[in-house]
Amino acid sequence: MVLVVVRRIGVFASTVVVASIVTFLMLSILPGNAARIALGVQATEADVAAQTAAMGLDRPAVVRYLDWFGHVLIGDFGTSTVSRQAIGPEISDALGITVILVVTSVILALLFAIPFGILTAVRQRKPDGPILSGISQIGVAVPGFLAGMLLVTVFAVTLRWLPAGGWVDPGDDFVGFIEHLILPAIALGSVQGAVLSRYVRSSVLEVMREDFMRTARAKGLGAGRALFRHGLRNAAVPVMTVLGLQIATLLVGAVVIERVFSIPGLGSLLLDKVALRDLPAVQGIVLVLVVFVLILNFLVDLAFTLIDPRLRSTA
Amino acid sequence: MVASLALVGCSAGSKTNDAEPDTSLTVGLLATPGNLDYTTTAGAAIPQALLYNVYEGLVKLNNDGKIIPLLASAWTVSDDGLVYDFTLQEGVTFSDGSPFTAESVKFSLERVKDNWTANGPAYLDPIDSIEAVSDTEARITLSKPSNSWLFNMSGPVGTMFTESGIADLATAPVGTGPYTVSSFKTGDNLTLVANPDYWGEAPYMSDVTLRYFTDATAQTNALLSGDVNLVAGISQFQLVDQFKSNADFQVLEGASTGEVTLSMNNASEAFSDVRVRQAVMYAIDRQAVMDTVNSGFGLLIGSMVPPTDPWYDASLTDLYPYDPAKATALLSAAGVSDLTVAFNIPNLPYAVAGAQVVKDQLSKVGITANVTSLEFPAVWLDDVFKNHDYDMSLIMHSEPRDITAFAAPTYYAGYNSPAVMAKFAAADAADPKAYVELMKEATTTMAEDAAADWLYLQPAISLADADLVGVPKNTPSLSLDLSTIAR
Repeated sequence: MVLVVVRRIGVFASTVVVASIVTFLMLSILPGNAARIALGVQATEADVAAQTAAMGLDRPAVVRYLDWFGHVLIGDFGTSTVSRQAIGPEISDALGITVILVVTSVILALLFAIPFGILTAVRQRKPDGPILSGISQIGVAVPGFLAGMLLVTVFAVTLRWLPAGGWVDPGDDFVGFIEHLILPAIALGSVQGAVLSRYVRSSVLEVMREDFMRTARAKGLGAGRALFRHGLRNAAVPVMTVLGLQIATLLVGAVVIERVFSIPGLGSLLLDKVALRDLPAVQGIVLVLVVFVLILNFLVDLAFTLIDPRLRSTA
Repeated sequence: MVASLALVGCSAGSKTNDAEPDTSLTVGLLATPGNLDYTTTAGAAIPQALLYNVYEGLVKLNNDGKIIPLLASAWTVSDDGLVYDFTLQEGVTFSDGSPFTAESVKFSLERVKDNWTANGPAYLDPIDSIEAVSDTEARITLSKPSNSWLFNMSGPVGTMFTESGIADLATAPVGTGPYTVSSFKTGDNLTLVANPDYWGEAPYMSDVTLRYFTDATAQTNALLSGDVNLVAGISQFQLVDQFKSNADFQVLEGASTGEVTLSMNNASEAFSDVRVRQAVMYAIDRQAVMDTVNSGFGLLIGSMVPPTDPWYDASLTDLYPYDPAKATALLSAAGVSDLTVAFNIPNLPYAVAGAQVVKDQLSKVGITANVTSLEFPAVWLDDVFKNHDYDMSLIMHSEPRDITAFAAPTYYAGYNSPAVMAKFAAADAADPKAYVELMKEATTTMAEDAAADWLYLQPAISLADADLVGVPKNTPSLSLDLSTIAR
């Protein structure tokens, strides 16, 4: 047991280290100099050289990497070359906002996807089955930002029920926080919901074809009860895998919705920092993302063992 | 669900009917400041927020581009143009309580040379010495007369700092202005509050929130939904029409100092011959470019001079009218056929759109322009601006009076005319009347030499709630001057 835990931690740590090295190398070969970007088109070469030295960018790569990673290990993500402030709080602020947005949108997506997906699967042979299936197809095809812009046009600009964008901290003004969260969460959740409902549908269809379902029906259980008691737990496993992947992608993939709704989330932060070649910040964000995804995978594995007892002994 | 939406909807975007006037203002802007220190970070975003609002200099530019007194209530210039005697306002304090005196003037200007890396530290090169004659009198002596010096003092480089307030310029600016920074989150918003100890007339707006957007449609949607009161400077002009016909809003059209420039690398093989450059000038229909990119908004110019500069010459606009036949003739006279050029542009929307029109027009005279879109700012600054690795490029130059920088032989434009440089230097040192004449001559020569094709002047278009007054129409300086805005 202890060996398993130690092995797990070992894999985790080595993944993080390799990710940090790969990110660092990739960023160091990118064209563009943070000092020149900071000084703009009025800069002389002498100014740029002075700024480069002031930012510590003229030191050899190995020195810069070890300096950075060494500080990260003690929790110091360094100072942003752009904002001159500590990167740690910048990342945690953005991460907090994105996590709230993503989790809310996932909950909304599941609230739609599970009942809708099951319904679509169950009604597959009935006339309304293909229609329901068609609705989810359209949902998959509509891009998230289009959904977002339509929501803004209708609910913010025309009806003036909700704000057009921006973010309010739940601690500052809870009602305002909810008002600002509704539209982006729906925009983000709508596409996910459509995609997830497809997975739920195909997963449930597959389970309904299984022998043990026929046995359950033969034992006298109604169709609904058989599905609920025996089918869903089996159908849940592939859906959870997809959910884990979706959340991992959305941490940064929500950037388009963030742009439409002016939300200072992690995707926007990463995009801005890359454009400005704020290397310590970009490295910090990527590292945080790697850790986050690893934790997420671990949680998904854990959830599997809870749902499927057959997986417990090998955990 | 609907009931809760309705409940929530009652408070969202509604206008309160208080007897007290609403003195809070929310402004929607596009480019966000990375930090609050314009002494070491370039870009228009920081001075847009802080210049004249938080930081003040001895003089400022009013909305018509004229130099007016600010911290200096009056000044005299000696006959030889070398000695400026400034009389300073009395009873001025910085926002941390320290007093503003002639010593502050000396401190602020003397630290520029060694501490500033951005926003033109070289503008103060003409200064020979600074003397604090008394608490309210400062004498600045120049090493040679300079007509541009006082104009440049109205910009960031002339603003006043206090020794106790420079510890944390990136996050906590300390100035003498009508506002102080109360919070800043890059990419999100910057909030300003009125300075209760301000020496001058208190501004109408007591709370100003500058909100930064990355998406132009989100910016205008915020205005339509009541989230912001003013959108200062839009980039997508096709959005303007919906506001013109809407009685709840007003559209303000003014002049900027942003010249959208089609640069031709004078030092490259393709464009070292003036006839080839002139051919390009005749081959481009600038009105068509402006119509496509800007939905017709903007002003055609013939040189890098906006109408707000005293040496503006409207006749230069007709120097190279659209004439593809003349272009073809010039190319054959130069012995050039089937010319292929590397057209390396920044990946900004106006540049990408404009480049397509230019490429199409050039193909009609036998010039093939290979368009490569480069990431801006990182790659464009490196490849085109620093390494001059390009034949043609397209970008807007937005600093006021940047033509003298453009003409320098080491600038990316590669224009090399010692005569023009000498004329600019002579203009700077001449008496005020000759200054305008000489500047006119130098800029005319640059236009005749086809140093670059200045396609059009970007308009300054702002959209505001109908009940706002005093909104700055033009952008002659880098500042978004909030002090005049009222309701």
